[in-house]
Amino acid sequence: MDVVSLICAGEHTQTHWRFRLDELAWRDMVDLLRQDDLPFVGLWCDGEDVHALFLPDGQPLAATLRLENGRYPALSPARVVSSLYERVIYDLYGAEAMWALDVRPLLDHDVWSASAPLSAAPGRGGQHKGILAFQPSDALLAAKGRVEDVGPATGSAVPPFYTRLVLSGGVVANAETQTGYAHRGIAARSRHARVEDACRLAGRVAAGSSVAHQVAFCKAVENACGARVGTEVALLRVALLEMERLFHHLYKLAALARLAGVHLVASHCMALREKLVAQAAPVTGSRLLMDVCTPGGVSLREASQMGDLCASLYELGRQAYPQLALLWREYPGLAVLLGNVGRVQADELERIGLDGPVARASGWDCDGRRMIPAYEGLWRYTSGRQDGTAEDRALLLLDEVEESLRMLDLAAARIGLNAGGSTPLSMEDGEGIGLVEGPWGGVLYWVRLAHGRVAEAFCRKPETSALLAFEQMLPNHAAADTALLACSLGMNAAALDG
Amino acid sequence: MGLIRAVMQTAFWKDRQKRKPLGPRWPLLLFHVDTGGCGGCGMELQAMASLPYDMQGAGFGFVTSPRAADVLLVTGPLTRSMAPVLQAAWDAMPNPKGLISVGNCALDGGLFSENYAVMGGLERRVTVDLAIAGCPPSPQDVLNGLCAMLGSAAQSR
Repeated sequence: MDVVSLICAGEHTQTHWRFRLDELAWRDMVDLLRQDDLPFVGLWCDGEDVHALFLPDGQPLAATLRLENGRYPALSPARVVSSLYERVIYDLYGAEAMWALDVRPLLDHDVWSASAPLSAAPGRGGQHKGILAFQPSDALLAAKGRVEDVGPATGSAVPPFYTRLVLSGGVVANAETQTGYAHRGIAARSRHARVEDACRLAGRVAAGSSVAHQVAFCKAVENACGARVGTEVALLRVALLEMERLFHHLYKLAALARLAGVHLVASHCMALREKLVAQAAPVTGSRLLMDVCTPGGVSLREASQMGDLCASLYELGRQAYPQLALLWREYPGLAVLLGNVGRVQADELERIGLDGPVARASGWDCDGRRMIPAYEGLWRYTSGRQDGTAEDRALLLLDEVEESLRMLDLAAARIGLNAGGSTPLSMEDGEGIGLVEGPWGGVLYWVRLAHGRVAEAFCRKPETSALLAFEQMLPNHAAADTALLACSLGMNAAALDG
Repeated sequence: MGLIRAVMQTAFWKDRQKRKPLGPRWPLLLFHVDTGGCGGCGMELQAMASLPYDMQGAGFGFVTSPRAADVLLVTGPLTRSMAPVLQAAWDAMPNPKGLISVGNCALDGGLFSENYAVMGGLERRVTVDLAIAGCPPSPQDVLNGLCAMLGSAAQSR
């Protein structure tokens, strides 16, 4: 029996793609997953049950298990990224994952005002005073060498996280991170919230991926209600997603160039980005495209001008892009510097579930846009170098900038004077998921609606897997490359902590 | 919590003027701490430090150590994990020193009001010398705010 059959043999629930398993079946599922390559999305808890979501052939399939005395068998022995979800579940709900790979706290470092804050009976608050104590793993404790600390306040623009490096012979021998500094309790705030308010929160999980989170959340709500938005609204959302990808990639290319010490290239990237952002803001209503989507539609300041905006962005980009691409590819030393760091293999990324441009630059053909009907006729398969280095990732971002510009040009003609808008949803109780391809990979929301509000929500984002990739990649690199590697992999503590 | 007290007194400007006159050659040095937001304000600060904005020409610069900073610039809601980090950064800064909040979250928590992990914003906890509102404020808004602060400080000398 394979994993899909095992899950489908479970008890049916009100959601046709979610099945309830007993503990023995759950354990069998974990055993089978060790030999099965079923794509794993995430693991979450609602206080009574834990849910594991998979995407066989792009379709959702979830297994649910009732917590037994606050415990459940861990999935991390079969899916390493599950370890991070298990640590979050323990921090938020106090539910223990048995046989877990790692049981250190991820978010709660004994400073919250309550432990297990989302459980039915939260515990006492933490007693720790002062700067958080770092809890290294046994492997890091055993590592010999000079210790160097990076973060959480570095003076840079990135959200806060801490990295401990153990250096040996001038390079990193071992490294671990500590996160949780940017935990704002988005899951707790979304509970019992109106869908519009929860959507605003989703748009602030991680700036730079705001549209991806908004659209994924909105699609999940619409699927839960059994509603469908029109093709016009779907196309406007695609235009917004591609605008975000364009702005995001230029920002990241600038950051990579800056961290590589090539400030001229960074300036060109930021100057082009600023031109495009300044053009878009009066129409969308937000420079970082926050609050542009709402369940049932879009929420744009001047929706009727979106077609013209797409055309003008394409025109601005078309004029500046060739020079920027040439500068990036031929700037002395930049290719060599980036080409020698951050190599990661596609099979390793598949193992830890890191998709998006990082995976595509390593040769793993994955792009959620091919599954979204609104992208039909817009998205096309592109491939560049696939050696998996920081340079390959940068060049892929550069290629995707051109692709997004091309898609905006195509979308411009289709959007025309369509005003978009929003249709009221019936807000029936139910569950739904929404998946989009964000700038760094797949963003998926699972939402359960009850009494016209959000009862529970779960978000899968690529930054979770990026943390594992970052920790695994650091050894044998210079300590000075830490920020460059984090940037190149899409590490973002704001998204990770949530 | 004994979080950051006090701040850019009038004496700040007098003392600072003696050591470092205002202007592009003696920029006001900012140390940025994101205390747990979505990162949007940080992105706009990065944009402000890049073309086409002339932040350095206007007399400001970012530093990577609080020991070299004149002003602590805070973005994001203050999480309980970041509060001691913010305090440590403040303590490490030489006197005289000031505090600026950028964005709604840093001032009053914005969408992230007080809960088990978040203390809210700096408002009502400390004296903030300059608060720049917005979610997030644009680079031009931030630069205008900084220039207005310098302008008013120069006038009050």
